[in-house]
Amino acid sequence: MIQSAAGRRVKYKLYRRTFTKLSVLSGASVLVLPACASDDSVAPTGSVTLTSDERELLERFADVYLPTDGTSLKPRGEVPVVDNIEHALSLMDAPTRDQVRIGLKLFNYGSILIGLHFVRFVGLSRENRLAYIRRWEDGIEMQRGISTVLKKLVCYGYWKDVEAGRAIGYQGPVSEPAGVVSLGNAPMPHTSG
Amino acid sequence: MADEPKAKIQGLPVLKVTPPEQIPDTGLQLEADVVIIGSGAAGAVTAYELSRSGAKVVVLEAGPHIPSAEFREHTPTAFETLYQDHGNQVNTTGDMAIFQGRCVGGSTVVNAAACFRVPNQVLRNWAEEHSLENLSPEALGPYFERVERNLSVHQNEPHEVNYNGRLLIEGAKKVGIPAAPVSRNIKDCALTAHCLSGCKTDRKQSMLVTYLPWASELGATILSGTRAEKLEVSNRRVTAVVAVATDASGRQKPVRVRAGLVVVAAGAVQTPLLFQRNKIGNSSGQVGLNFACHPSLAVYGEHDKDIYAWVGATMTSCAGDFENPLKGGYLLEAGMIGPVSTSVGLDGGLGSDFVEFMENSKKFQSAVTLIHDHNVGRVYLDGDRKRIEYDLDDRDFESMREALRGTARIYFAAGARRVYLPTTRRTTIETADQVDSVINSLKNGKHMYRLTSYHPQGTMRMGADPAKSVVGPDGLCHDLDNVYVPDASLFPSSLLVNPQITVYTMASYISAQILARG
Repeated sequence: MIQSAAGRRVKYKLYRRTFTKLSVLSGASVLVLPACASDDSVAPTGSVTLTSDERELLERFADVYLPTDGTSLKPRGEVPVVDNIEHALSLMDAPTRDQVRIGLKLFNYGSILIGLHFVRFVGLSRENRLAYIRRWEDGIEMQRGISTVLKKLVCYGYWKDVEAGRAIGYQGPVSEPAGVVSLGNAPMPHTSG
Repeated sequence: MADEPKAKIQGLPVLKVTPPEQIPDTGLQLEADVVIIGSGAAGAVTAYELSRSGAKVVVLEAGPHIPSAEFREHTPTAFETLYQDHGNQVNTTGDMAIFQGRCVGGSTVVNAAACFRVPNQVLRNWAEEHSLENLSPEALGPYFERVERNLSVHQNEPHEVNYNGRLLIEGAKKVGIPAAPVSRNIKDCALTAHCLSGCKTDRKQSMLVTYLPWASELGATILSGTRAEKLEVSNRRVTAVVAVATDASGRQKPVRVRAGLVVVAAGAVQTPLLFQRNKIGNSSGQVGLNFACHPSLAVYGEHDKDIYAWVGATMTSCAGDFENPLKGGYLLEAGMIGPVSTSVGLDGGLGSDFVEFMENSKKFQSAVTLIHDHNVGRVYLDGDRKRIEYDLDDRDFESMREALRGTARIYFAAGARRVYLPTTRRTTIETADQVDSVINSLKNGKHMYRLTSYHPQGTMRMGADPAKSVVGPDGLCHDLDNVYVPDASLFPSSLLVNPQITVYTMASYISAQILARG
């Protein structure tokens, strides 16, 4: 759909206002992974299950952010990226995790709010998904934060896999494979002063 | 629980730690001369020094005890098991990761082993601005020497400086920036580059293998998974610390320690929170204020040949005029860890750009920047949630840009063909001629950079004036007659350099003040 420049400006202003409001509503916007701000006494609430929408968003984001087909990288399909992200979220305290999940939703539905598209992010073509991420990278504070969260989540989920690291020349664990032995605790010092 | 059988075999000191599982469901009541909250750099040194004098010491550590044999040399696992908030601690804005250890041994278990004494210029400033004339380089010198000797601190030998480290030194020399191998607290380094995941073979001389087993050997009681919550106060004295031990199944057990002396060494985030939660020690209104953290940025320089910066010692060499932090000096430290950190440390682009970035990461020269930031942040409780309010100050952003300029110049002088900057969106410098124009175009703002902090400090300011500080020159709280704070929270201003050796030294110094007081 072709829109006039004036129409896009109006919609963009509306979109900015909407996101500013959402930012206020969601509190301090701790939307970067790592993204926990609980006091020690607030423990993580245990396992979490991502919704199918969330899983689809993360898959579609990873698909354009980290396309491994035809590269020397370990195929992304062989790494449980989204499962690893799910585990990472389970280690956050509930309020922080809720904020991250709101961020995922905002990102997905932002393509409708922005008025440039009439489908969610997951429904965009590959080219449009890339362009959409770029707009968020250059967007307002909250957009920059959310797009960075998504990138960090995918990086964490993918590179957590030891073999994915080896594919780029990273050695992974060293001591056991190399037979490096422990020196044990240090002897008591002989200081007198 | 004595969990270091290897130490027994070798006749070395054994670290005995009591985990929550060994505490009865009915709880534990202990009597001691001294109770220490926190087992990191400050708590461990204080525990040993006071135990050495014959005091009965109890150490309460909120984090778990994970013996080095269980370290996995896998960064994500280390984040999840050894770090505060499972590696998820951030500032309130959400654009800076703040890493602290949360385990027996604290951050010393997961640091890069870099050892720098606090610059003399900083100590002079403390004397002038905060009347801390007692902390002169001459007065602290013997304490520095002692901890450095105890922890096998030495400057990296040639074999401990990998290609990445040599490139930093060579490039720095070409552009006239001072550079040298760093000093580290390590013995016979196995060059695994896994310091930040905990040293599996006990070469890094962290508190886990030094001061804590030494204190344990002298009779100190160390409880893990036991979080101090309440300080019982009577007539300006804390008479008991009430804690909660939480076992693996989530069962909570009360622990109460009565002691004549209390040392709070929980670090620059948790120490002020404990005071705030108990509403004590804050007649100055300074508890939790003056937070600084050495906001750090990773910078990569892409070369034509393979560098494998992640092979060898974690931290190898440094560059910068770091003896002059008050005059804009900065510190660059050569080092690189695994792909998770590489990929999140800065933005490598999208799609094929990002894939190429990661495929080329073995060709990256890598260093992180440290600056002497102003104490503009604060730590506070918002209900039951902690907040670490800190955004990069405009003055510090100028220091940051200067550090980035220096790094980029060094990289190009060392032969890099491209420099990656740590911005939210991929930013590169393609030639040395572009360094100034690209870096001058950078602007300060939230969610603009991939910031990381490893050095929280400053939230329990030390000073002679009780109206402007929380802790006196000897480490004793102004408002309390038997509570000392020896951790990084007492630094009146940021150090610029890695703080561990200065924390050990201050804890030794304050222990001596405690013993002198009797």
